[in-house]
Amino acid sequence: MTVRFLRNKVVEVEPLPDGSLEVLWRLTDDLLKAEIILKVQPPDLEIVQAGAKLERLVPEAWQSAPELIKKVEGVRIGSGLRKIVQGLLGGENGCALLVHAVLECSNAVILNFTRPGVQMLEGLTDEEKLSLTREMLKTNPRLIRSCVAFQDDSPIMQGLEL
Amino acid sequence: MITLNRSHVISAEFPDNETVRFNGIQDDHIYSMEITMDVRIADGEILAIDGKMKRYTNFVCPRAELILQSAVGVSLRKEGWDRLVMKEIGRKGCEHFAEIIIECGHCLDQARLSKALWQALEKDPAADQQAFVQNWINEHPENQLG
Repeated sequence: MTVRFLRNKVVEVEPLPDGSLEVLWRLTDDLLKAEIILKVQPPDLEIVQAGAKLERLVPEAWQSAPELIKKVEGVRIGSGLRKIVQGLLGGENGCALLVHAVLECSNAVILNFTRPGVQMLEGLTDEEKLSLTREMLKTNPRLIRSCVAFQDDSPIMQGLEL
Repeated sequence: MITLNRSHVISAEFPDNETVRFNGIQDDHIYSMEITMDVRIADGEILAIDGKMKRYTNFVCPRAELILQSAVGVSLRKEGWDRLVMKEIGRKGCEHFAEIIIECGHCLDQARLSKALWQALEKDPAADQQAFVQNWINEHPENQLG
């Protein structure tokens, strides 16, 4: 059976020589073509620059996206981000696509910093991985019950009193 | 160089007039997983779901495949559906599975609109596509596009 709709989305993180991160988010599907670029400045992960371009069959309500996205300049990627971005870019006069794009860009920035730690585990034995994961849970208690691996009945949690 | 790349590919087919079947793939440097789910068009209810973890970070992660079944019955039209999916599938199972379901949900109206536009162009190849899109959005107040 042929598909009647196909969406491709990609988000990329590229560290720049000045220490900032460029996050490029692109979407293409049967109806829309969109591109969002954010420049994020460590260490506080402030969005210092934001741009958006929407093409093809853009709903009227979303046509102000290039101006609207400027509202996230100055926002920091951190706690409360979902609510802040929804407040700035969402709602009746907002653009849901931009809300999703900015949150996905922000998630990609976090994953970018997560990747080296995940790769570091690869050379370890299963016992060493388990031990390090348990240590990580002690120092990051917000991870407890955040997914199936860290639920109370998970083998990882056995013996931990957290 | 690019140090993190994440892709989503979402496709929608219409096995009958009442149902849309999504296939969603998430692939990045760390994770790779896939979801197939059937959704009733009339009310956005998830009728069936199946998922496969292909790349993940620890040996417990594949247990999340079973948790996916709690998405059956969730309506992609109900206020706060995305938060519900993140809570029930994401936090109890895997947030990456939840992200794929949410992306499929975001494509529900786009898929319906795309199908309708295709059918309109079959009848009239010169139809004003921008006007068609806007009319469709205006005539379907349940849509989440605007």
